[in-house]
Amino acid sequence: MHIPDGILPATVCLGGYATAGAATWYALRKINHQGNPREGIPRASLLTAAFLVASWIHIPIPPASVHLVLNGLLGAVLGYFAMPAILIGLFFQAVLFQHGGLTTLGVNATVMGVTALLAHQIFQLRKVLGASSRTALAVCGFLAGAGGIALAAAAVFTILFSTIPAHLDVQTERAGIYALTLAHVPLAVIEGIFTAMLVLFLQKVKPEVLED
Amino acid sequence: MNLQLDRYADLNTPVHRWDPRCKIIALMALIFSFSFIQDLRLIPVMFATSAVLYAMAGLPLSFLLTRMRVPGFFLFMMGFILPFFSGETVLWHLGPLAIRQEGCLDFVLIASKFMCILTVSFVIFGTTPFITTVKAMRSLGLPYILADMTLFAYRYLFEIGENLKTMQTSMRLRGFRSGPRKMATLAALAGTILVRSYEQSDRVYKAMVLRGYGQPGSFMENFQPNYSRGYAGLVTAITVAAIFVAAQILLHSQTGV
Repeated sequence: MHIPDGILPATVCLGGYATAGAATWYALRKINHQGNPREGIPRASLLTAAFLVASWIHIPIPPASVHLVLNGLLGAVLGYFAMPAILIGLFFQAVLFQHGGLTTLGVNATVMGVTALLAHQIFQLRKVLGASSRTALAVCGFLAGAGGIALAAAAVFTILFSTIPAHLDVQTERAGIYALTLAHVPLAVIEGIFTAMLVLFLQKVKPEVLED
Repeated sequence: MNLQLDRYADLNTPVHRWDPRCKIIALMALIFSFSFIQDLRLIPVMFATSAVLYAMAGLPLSFLLTRMRVPGFFLFMMGFILPFFSGETVLWHLGPLAIRQEGCLDFVLIASKFMCILTVSFVIFGTTPFITTVKAMRSLGLPYILADMTLFAYRYLFEIGENLKTMQTSMRLRGFRSGPRKMATLAALAGTILVRSYEQSDRVYKAMVLRGYGQPGSFMENFQPNYSRGYAGLVTAITVAAIFVAAQILLHSQTGV
């Protein structure tokens, strides 16, 4: 799901840094308006690290296994801290594990961060549907988790196929975008179910984690 | 768990002694100039530049090869897809599939840029302690929230990773066998990691405040006692990056590639 170095043209990479910078600036501005921002930093940082570690858990899907992206869940739990958290998580993945890349960090952060912020808004719907309802929590958790990954997949493959410096005709590009996005639908469903289960677990064990 | 990204950061080479702020600016400019390249004739120069830089950094080749293993899978996938789908000039027929010239050249371009960018990024992060790199980024204008979060997350990433490993071992010892129907248990495992981190963050914050966290000057960093400025290196790297960009524009205007 992370676009590596070398694939995208420099202009797209720089554009990605500009959009990621704008999104991060907006998120930081919102964070700075929330009282003492330093108070939230250790919590957001440890949860950033915890999300990165949780994404290493492999979910068995015969005949293989997948690891989850958890951008939707991250948005749901961290709110506006999700944008810097994703930027840092992707930076670690690029530098420590060579997943993604330094030149594509902006593009990847924009895709994952903006979808995480959208997932946060989706998760807020639970307050409208009924703050104490477990069903509303599970449904909103599912939509945040599945929506986060589905939107990110569609965005990544659209960027990839429309900017990759390869000699692909329009039909091949379109077919590639549709095929790879559709291939991620089962993964989005799994991520949605996993997110719903996880938010139910958090609601039961430590409901403060889900509070803004 | 120890990924030892900066295990060679204590070597004594000109690249190691280079001021981390200048190093970040210079080598990031070089990396972006690499991503600008579209003409295959510039690839040998790009490889030579990366190789000279890596040799100057004194990092062992095994370090590069070990870290290239994971992204090697990506290269394999690109090499598997592009020659069959990109372009029209057929070189060989492989059963019902045709290997196309343009696809092969696209693969060479993408793989070369990928390897060179990765090599230079190892020079940035492999020759300076990671914490010093983040402090250098902070002094270059990185907002304090991002810098603090990066340092905190880096400090606890490996500890939380060890916690996960311990919990997975405990689950296996108690007879847990992973399967599609065990997703609720795996969700609880991930949830436990989050809850533990959440609880730990409160203790960490209180301990940090007691040690002066948030007071002005906590990020004051003087790089000069340990590093030479290296403005010559900065100018050289930016000039090389500018030459790559200019050469690409010139070649593009001549050949339309």
